[in-house]
Amino acid sequence: MRTRAAVSAALASAGILIAGWQSGLHVADTGSSVASAAAGSTGSSGSSGTSGSAGASGSSGSSSPSSAGGTTGASAKAVGTYAGSVVQTRFGSVQVQITVQAGKITDVTALQLTDAERKSVQISNRAAPLLRTEVLAAQSADVQTISGATVTSDAYLNSLQAALDAANL
Amino acid sequence: MNTQLLTNRPGVRRNSGGAVNPFRAQYRRRLLRADLLTVLFWASLAGAVALWLADGGVAGFSTPAGSFTALGIVAGLAGMDLVLLMLLLAARIPLIDQTVGHDRALEFHRKLGKPALYLLLAHGILIAIGYGMAEGLDPVSESVALWVLVPDMWLAYISMLLFIAVVVTSLVAVRRRFPYEFWYAVHLLTYAAVLTSLPHQFSVGGLFAEGTWQRWYWLALCIATGAALLYYRVVQPLVATFRHQLTVKRVVRVAPGVVSIEMSGLRLDELAGSGGRFFIWRFLAPGLWWHPHPFSLSAEPVRFDAAGQGTLRITVRNLGRGSSQLASLKPGTKVAVEGPYGLFSTAARSRKHVVMVGAGIGITPVRALLESTPFQPGNATVILRGHSESELYLGEEILDLCRRRGATLFHLTGSRPAGIRTWLPEHAARAGHRLASYHPNITDADVYVCGPSAWAHNVLEDARAAGVREDQIHYERFDW
Repeated sequence: MRTRAAVSAALASAGILIAGWQSGLHVADTGSSVASAAAGSTGSSGSSGTSGSAGASGSSGSSSPSSAGGTTGASAKAVGTYAGSVVQTRFGSVQVQITVQAGKITDVTALQLTDAERKSVQISNRAAPLLRTEVLAAQSADVQTISGATVTSDAYLNSLQAALDAANL
Repeated sequence: MNTQLLTNRPGVRRNSGGAVNPFRAQYRRRLLRADLLTVLFWASLAGAVALWLADGGVAGFSTPAGSFTALGIVAGLAGMDLVLLMLLLAARIPLIDQTVGHDRALEFHRKLGKPALYLLLAHGILIAIGYGMAEGLDPVSESVALWVLVPDMWLAYISMLLFIAVVVTSLVAVRRRFPYEFWYAVHLLTYAAVLTSLPHQFSVGGLFAEGTWQRWYWLALCIATGAALLYYRVVQPLVATFRHQLTVKRVVRVAPGVVSIEMSGLRLDELAGSGGRFFIWRFLAPGLWWHPHPFSLSAEPVRFDAAGQGTLRITVRNLGRGSSQLASLKPGTKVAVEGPYGLFSTAARSRKHVVMVGAGIGITPVRALLESTPFQPGNATVILRGHSESELYLGEEILDLCRRRGATLFHLTGSRPAGIRTWLPEHAARAGHRLASYHPNITDADVYVCGPSAWAHNVLEDARAAGVREDQIHYERFDW
């Protein structure tokens, strides 16, 4: 009878784990698409992040804007998008991109946001719009961090500062 | 000396042959419940991990740092699940108690203590490594950073320290050095440990993240555990205490250092069949009320005695600080009660034969079981063991019950022989007697054993050697 318990426990556990695994594969797909959707409505400059993330932990400004950078011609102060550095946090990588028009920040988009776990995704999705609004109002990286999203905020603002440096703002 | 007080009449044995086993169905149901609980246990652990997988946990394994973090999360989930299961095992849930017994449930609870702690430690260490790698910090700096920077993490560190304290004070070697009350007080910190661990699971971890199945699983498990503890450890004892209104009727001296405490109360018919099972008693007298005593009933509850009152009886020996004051209990003292608990009862029966072996004060639950458990005349054997006849407490009552019910009674008195591992007195051991010598159909019998643990283990060994299967052996430990 003990064997009956052992066998059924093993079968039940295996079944539960396999079911979890299967539905996890499905979620992993949608999860990454959610993350990429969060990465920016513009959808441009997909290349960015990965190369940067391999490098040592991105302390902010030092590394030059890794990719994309200013759009074509004209002077440095013209319309352009500038990607900030990739900042590694314990909850995932963060990278933002700014759109600059006539020396003013007109838009901030997150190319990558903390997404290590479901909870991080939630926090990111809550914090990113707030940070964007604050940055657009302040026209600098000198804004309040979002409470409850300290890690994400710090990384966001560090990456933003790198982008601002790249844009010479 | 070895006295066979009642011999089987030859005519009686006939019954043992063909009759069907009346306990077969009950026994199968109990095994089924036990198996079901085993499956639920493992399924719960698997479920904790599976729900994490279902929420896309595997994605973490794409990087080395993520792998450490993911393993850390799995360890944490399994650890939390184990802690909640341990609480459920200690909640005195009747389903568990009536399936494996209070002592076995607590034994399992104890066995899980170290694995749970190791999982929680692994959780902390692996997460510190994983997060540290992602940030470019060594694990120690990362731990400090987590403590300082991430909200609620300091509570998780406190929780970890509390868990360590609880497990360390429960290690046998450590536990022996401190009084029971110290261990109990530290053990209560488990609740603080669980509560302080919850905030970081909400804020940092994903256990309760909105829109996930994990949220519902953990909410359900936490609430169910809390409710079970509250109901079975707080509400049920209060209800039982108020319902039965027990008061001490009289205290009768049975032998030197041994007293029977008789209590009268209401609605005791509801406790029928609990003879031999134990309750946790609190005698509400100055200096005594805070001390819980686990004692078995030494007789079936009487619904109406001569005075029209219901009565209960326990028989206790002066064993320690708490028990010594019991002899001087005053009639009229109110008694708070929790129970009945344990499987030293008919609920554990699986065969039609029954052998009851009691030593010292362990004789008293045997007395109660003998009174109520069903058997055909000739199918039961009672073996009482003590250094001398005066240690065979309630011996006269037992002799009387054996006469009336047709059970065979043996008094085995005398010291154990030196140098041999046996539960028998010297003369019986020298004569080559075994447990099977006292009841020939032992392989078709339930064997109930109650007595000091070293002695009892020798009885169990003898029973196993005679071919008695594990699920026929009913031994209640009181050293939990």
